[in-house]
Amino acid sequence: MMWLTWRQFRLQAIVATAALAAFAIALAVTGPQLASLYRADGMTTCGDSGCAALAGDFLSDAGSYQIMYGLCTVGILLAPALIGLFWGAPLITREFETGTFRLAWTQTITRTRWLASKLVLPGLAAMAVAAGLSLLFGWWAAPIGQAARLTHGSFPLGMGPFSLPDFDAHGIAPLGYAAFAFTLGVTAGMLIRRTIPAMAVTLAIFAAIQVAMPLAVRPHLFPPARTTVAIGSFAGAEHVGNGHFSFNVMDLPSQPGAWIISSQAVNAAGQSVSSSAACEGRGQNGNQCLARQGVQIAVTYEPTSRFWPMQLAETGIYLALAMVLAGYCLRRLSLRRY
Amino acid sequence: MTAVIESCKLGKRYHSMWALSDCTLSIPSGHVVGLVGPNGAGKSTLLNIATGLLAPTTGTIEVLGTPPAARPAELSRVGFVAQDAPVYTALTVAEHLRVGARLNPRWDARLAHARIERLGLNLKQKAGTLSGGQRAQLALTLAIGKRPELLILDEPVARLDPLARREFLGELMEAVAEQDLSVLMSSHLVSDLERVCDYLIVLVVSRVCVAGPVEELLATHHLLSGPRRDPDQMPPGLRVISASHTGRQSTLLVRTSGQILDPAWTVSQVTLEDLALAYMKQAAIRQLEVQR
Repeated sequence: MMWLTWRQFRLQAIVATAALAAFAIALAVTGPQLASLYRADGMTTCGDSGCAALAGDFLSDAGSYQIMYGLCTVGILLAPALIGLFWGAPLITREFETGTFRLAWTQTITRTRWLASKLVLPGLAAMAVAAGLSLLFGWWAAPIGQAARLTHGSFPLGMGPFSLPDFDAHGIAPLGYAAFAFTLGVTAGMLIRRTIPAMAVTLAIFAAIQVAMPLAVRPHLFPPARTTVAIGSFAGAEHVGNGHFSFNVMDLPSQPGAWIISSQAVNAAGQSVSSSAACEGRGQNGNQCLARQGVQIAVTYEPTSRFWPMQLAETGIYLALAMVLAGYCLRRLSLRRY
Repeated sequence: MTAVIESCKLGKRYHSMWALSDCTLSIPSGHVVGLVGPNGAGKSTLLNIATGLLAPTTGTIEVLGTPPAARPAELSRVGFVAQDAPVYTALTVAEHLRVGARLNPRWDARLAHARIERLGLNLKQKAGTLSGGQRAQLALTLAIGKRPELLILDEPVARLDPLARREFLGELMEAVAEQDLSVLMSSHLVSDLERVCDYLIVLVVSRVCVAGPVEELLATHHLLSGPRRDPDQMPPGLRVISASHTGRQSTLLVRTSGQILDPAWTVSQVTLEDLALAYMKQAAIRQLEVQR
């Protein structure tokens, strides 16, 4: 059965290999150039203090690489969806639509084995492609990531390992996304039995989950670390009159790249405060006034050291979902007759 | 005579529609059995249940003494050519043979290759570019190559032109002669099966109207024509299957195990097609009466 699976998957495998090879060549050619630019701008020898200034120069020198960074990120985010749509969804619907399931299922092989072999080969290939893309990209993009972290937001991508498109395009998470998208496509195909509707449903569900994951699930994977920041050192305060103020902490100087989950002003007793009659109308001096009153900013965050544990956890969640879907498909096929 | 397929009150419902209901039949082994019936009689549903592709909603069925095709042991004993002979369009003829070899432990590679060679099929040709007849022949080769004890064919020649039809059935008969093979094939046209079947089952709306060896059916059915007469007034032992009347004349298709002695009748040989059509017509009339 493996041979038939391979034979039916061959064209897609060739397309995927070609795409991955093109990606690898592009990165292998430009990666060393980017790294030498990084060295030439003094980023490797600037020590602890001087790098922030050099980072901005490096990023402006690396302008065209920034475009490539963005394109690669989009590509890596799209790859699992494409795998779900073009590998997963048609895997079984094509057999239904052409009637060849009647041929396959009347050979001397149980349909559970038939499906298992169809899941294993393209499923592993999907994971390999996604992991290949993201790991190559991680190697290539390291200089940009380091510089972007130091400039605190002058480059919209690469704001830190947890920033929204970056976490999803780095590390091993794309492997989990690809495995999940593939089995989601297969499951949709098995339930709907027609390719185009199955593709549409796959895309809708996958997109919804990819949006829900960073917003609703990822912040709760690990209990965040807590710290307080003195108001004096913080510039991003907003005083809106009537003594009302708010602080929106974007990054922690002591924890570059950390993921800020929440930030709020607290008084000396640790209670949340959002207004102070005493500091009303102080304008630019509002911060000092608040600081004198003992107001601080309480921040919860995920330190960068959590990057790999969170990548592992998220990949694990997606792989578990993929296994559940695959198990469901196998079970349904063995119990139900068509 | 053992049965290759034995079903009891078999039914299959899709949503609220019964594609097959209350179907009880027995198909003897060692025959080439033609399953004939109008469209919608439930033939395809029955065959798909027999191959294990469909699960019945009600009733039971045994194929070669076991419930159909859940495990490889049972799958290997039944060959199936589904309606429209599905094949993998992107795979070549040679690759289909390889599929057959890989997925069937009892695969007879010599037999399969010899058949393909005799048919003049190009091994390197993609199955999607084969003609309808060649495609059907390829599907038949796959089904025969696995060396089944029972070969099931669902409307195998319905879409073939007359020449391809003749060639397909010829190949089928050759395989039957070479191997110890029971065959069950369906068609809505008796004329397709007349040349090859030695056992006929007429199925109308899930019911078996008549079943038996072709020779026996032909020997016990007669076409009578004579002066007009009421079909209900026939002697005992003689069953009227269909009757048509013109002003003064009656033509009856009757079943009897005895001789027709009444000299008023002109007795003529009935064809298998007339016979099957008469039963289908009778069943249709009965159904109308039931509906009223």
